[in-house]
Amino acid sequence: MTLRAFIWQYLLIVPHLLLLIVLVALLRRKVYRQFPVFFAFILGETVQSLVMIWLIESPSTKHAEYAIAYSAAFAVSTALRFGVVHEIFAHIFQNYSALDRFGTPLFRWLTVALLCGAFALAAWTGAYSDQLMSVVHLFDRTASILQCGLLVGLFLFSSQLGLSWRSHVFGIALGVGIIASASLAAAAIRSQTGVTYSVALNYLVMLVYHCSVLIWIFYLFAPERSYAPAALPRHDMETWNLELERLLKQ
Amino acid sequence: MIIAVILVVAAVLSLLLMVWAAKGRSSAISHVEDLPRHIRPVDIDAFRVLVDPAEAQFLWSRLPHAEFRKIQRQRLRAAVQYISCAAQNAAVLVRIGEVARRSSEPSVAEAGEQLVNAAIRLRIFSFQAILKLTLEMIRPGASVSALNLAENYERMTGLVFLLNRLQRPATGITVAAT
Repeated sequence: MTLRAFIWQYLLIVPHLLLLIVLVALLRRKVYRQFPVFFAFILGETVQSLVMIWLIESPSTKHAEYAIAYSAAFAVSTALRFGVVHEIFAHIFQNYSALDRFGTPLFRWLTVALLCGAFALAAWTGAYSDQLMSVVHLFDRTASILQCGLLVGLFLFSSQLGLSWRSHVFGIALGVGIIASASLAAAAIRSQTGVTYSVALNYLVMLVYHCSVLIWIFYLFAPERSYAPAALPRHDMETWNLELERLLKQ
Repeated sequence: MIIAVILVVAAVLSLLLMVWAAKGRSSAISHVEDLPRHIRPVDIDAFRVLVDPAEAQFLWSRLPHAEFRKIQRQRLRAAVQYISCAAQNAAVLVRIGEVARRSSEPSVAEAGEQLVNAAIRLRIFSFQAILKLTLEMIRPGASVSALNLAENYERMTGLVFLLNRLQRPATGITVAAT
């Protein structure tokens, strides 16, 4: 077996085996209750990987069969990933009563703005001759723009407000965000170059996926900080809020 | 090709932003015990004076307009610094409140919850207030002159009303409020 074949087999099999550890962590820490869509996404990825590996390794698989199976798996995976992003948004905003009224509008308007941008780019379809793959890559690029944009928006919003995320929430968002960024870059290059760099891009996307699985494992097993303040520091937040509210009404 | 390059750059930038967020997060966690030391006292009375419209109006009436604009810009800049400092304190208090609200002690958890929500509200207000004051810095005194205009208008309508009453004591007159 050549080194290249070994790396290919490794990236094809190992990340999906590691997903089993993610599943165990989700069950053990009862995170699946807070993030049912993420749990479904990981479960779906595991099942899909088994089917896809079987199709790749089976000599009787025809190209058309593989293309259809890949497209279907891709559509389900993308839809679930979008659901995970929505779940992260909902979780962050539900956590703070002061932000209750911001969550849904922020998600909605950010989605609308990103969809407008993605649709504007849809006219630029790229260099694919295969119609099914052309549609799949267009869909991939649109979904990646949406997911990447939503997560960047959420990261910026929470850093602006100084919100701190719990380990597993941050880990889930980071992993999904990294996959979305890599998919966006790969989809952008693919739409311009067609199949020329397809193998290299496949390696890149698989490597990034592997990193994301490791990130999920790390953050799902990372202990939460245990510092508990004996007493809260004295503060004048309410007075400041009244003053600033008055200033804004002037 | 240009769009592909833009999308690749956007993807790389978003990746860097997420990595930066992860890095910032880990450093914040390691020093959480020191957080109360990062709170800086801010004199709220001094801030009140800086944003008091009556003070601005007083200065407007006493100083040449060019001089007033210069001083008002400095006052607004100082007010922005006060707000930034309060917002920084709020960010620190959000982190402390976050930890406190996970406490097993219900009273500490409750106080932590209130602290987090008050601090987040402050962060939102401070963002809006800084935006407002920064816009005001472009043309300081606009609100004061508008206030003067409104007062002059009110005085004028009062005079019209008085004049009308003096001329025709049996009837009134209506002046539009805007």
